[in-house]
Amino acid sequence: MALTVTKVLRSGVMSIAPERLQLPLPRPNILDLAPLYDVLRREAPIAPVTTPAGDPAWLVTRYEEVRLLLGDKRFGRSHPEPERASRISTAAVQDGPSGEYATEEADHARMRRLLTPAFSAKRMRMLSDHMGRLVETYLDEMTAEHEATGVVDLHSRLAYPLPVAMICLLLGVPESDHELFARLSERMANTAIGEEAHQAREEFFRYMVGLVETKRPQLGEDVISDLVRAQSEDPSFDYEQMVRLCVGLLFAGHETTVNRIGLGTLFLLTDRSRWEALVADPDGRVDAVVEEVMRLGAPGDLGLLRYAREDVDIAGVTIRAGDAVVLSINAANRDADVYSDAEDFNPDRPERTHLGFGHGAHFCIGASLARTELRVVFSALAHRLPGMRLAKDLDDLEVRTTLTGGVAELPVTWRSL
Amino acid sequence: MKIVVDQGKCVGAGQCVLAADDVFDQNDDGLVALLEENPPSERLEDVRHAAAVCPAGAITVQE
Repeated sequence: MALTVTKVLRSGVMSIAPERLQLPLPRPNILDLAPLYDVLRREAPIAPVTTPAGDPAWLVTRYEEVRLLLGDKRFGRSHPEPERASRISTAAVQDGPSGEYATEEADHARMRRLLTPAFSAKRMRMLSDHMGRLVETYLDEMTAEHEATGVVDLHSRLAYPLPVAMICLLLGVPESDHELFARLSERMANTAIGEEAHQAREEFFRYMVGLVETKRPQLGEDVISDLVRAQSEDPSFDYEQMVRLCVGLLFAGHETTVNRIGLGTLFLLTDRSRWEALVADPDGRVDAVVEEVMRLGAPGDLGLLRYAREDVDIAGVTIRAGDAVVLSINAANRDADVYSDAEDFNPDRPERTHLGFGHGAHFCIGASLARTELRVVFSALAHRLPGMRLAKDLDDLEVRTTLTGGVAELPVTWRSL
Repeated sequence: MKIVVDQGKCVGAGQCVLAADDVFDQNDDGLVALLEENPPSERLEDVRHAAAVCPAGAITVQE
């Protein structure tokens, strides 16, 4: 199918063959998207596709519809008959329906109420000094290693440890267990190991039950303690739901910002002028750089999953109740109807918004945490390592086979040439 | 210009604070708090932007 479309494209006839497209659409490298997304946005903004798991779904690629559907209550994450719902991938996250169909909205509202204070922009700003000190320590260690070897892995030395340390602190999880839950997160998100991803989810669940019960006798000032307290006081708050939420938060702390730091570094270092612009004025430019990294960075190649709760007519198609819908944030964030020179990395662009944290009721609860981490990281890198460059070509970097994407390594150097 | 915020709709994204931190804030629950109900007209562009990027549609601007 992908071949057919390529031929059609080369012949200059911009149309999509009537068969279902197979996801994922192969991409040229970790920074660019499949060129076909541009054709889809113009010709078939809501297109029938076959998911990597082999099931039918709708792929939504245009900014307008992606934003609209993210904010539309006729679409949710649950399904009335979960066992009959389309599966998206073989990973154990965003792979199929989640939550109870009848109580989804109320369950979600409770979750937001419980978590919003702990992740507010103000609280995150209060953590930024602490983050700054952590990053300085990581950069000291990187500098020492670089002196000895001339090259250092930014992924394992900075991109990974910072978000993990912060999520452990916020959740009240022992950082000493980080290797264990990093492996579990990786396996859960892995799209290449089949059933083992689901096994990892079970193991992660058991780990979290152990942790919750260890903490219960002496609850502290952290998110997991808050959730344990709330669950014990609210008979409608299911124990398993609470544990799954804790797993989800710890997982998200591993699989999101880590990748975004890597992708952002790659965007900045693959074009020297981008890096030099940031180095010239780190404090003045870092906010805009972070937003552009959030817009263009495209970890993973699917999108956010929703199921229609009723029949919906939109953009010339009818989505039936129960149909799976994959909302391509990546494609929406590069929509030429919304962004001038949409594929260009340009922190100075006039458009001030993107869907990198989603939209609507499920807007990323960790957005302020992620923004603060990204600002601290990129501003510190620009201040301390202005001569930094990639020590390996973009195309030679190992890419993780997970739903959340990202690189497995990011060797950099600042040796004089 | 008059701004109306709906804390019942707010999802605590903090997008409005990012757009105009002299007009919007977050309270202890992480929900939107209005610092300035009638900001001067030169703030209109940022306030409009805040309303547009609110993921929950919790901000209304009456001009």
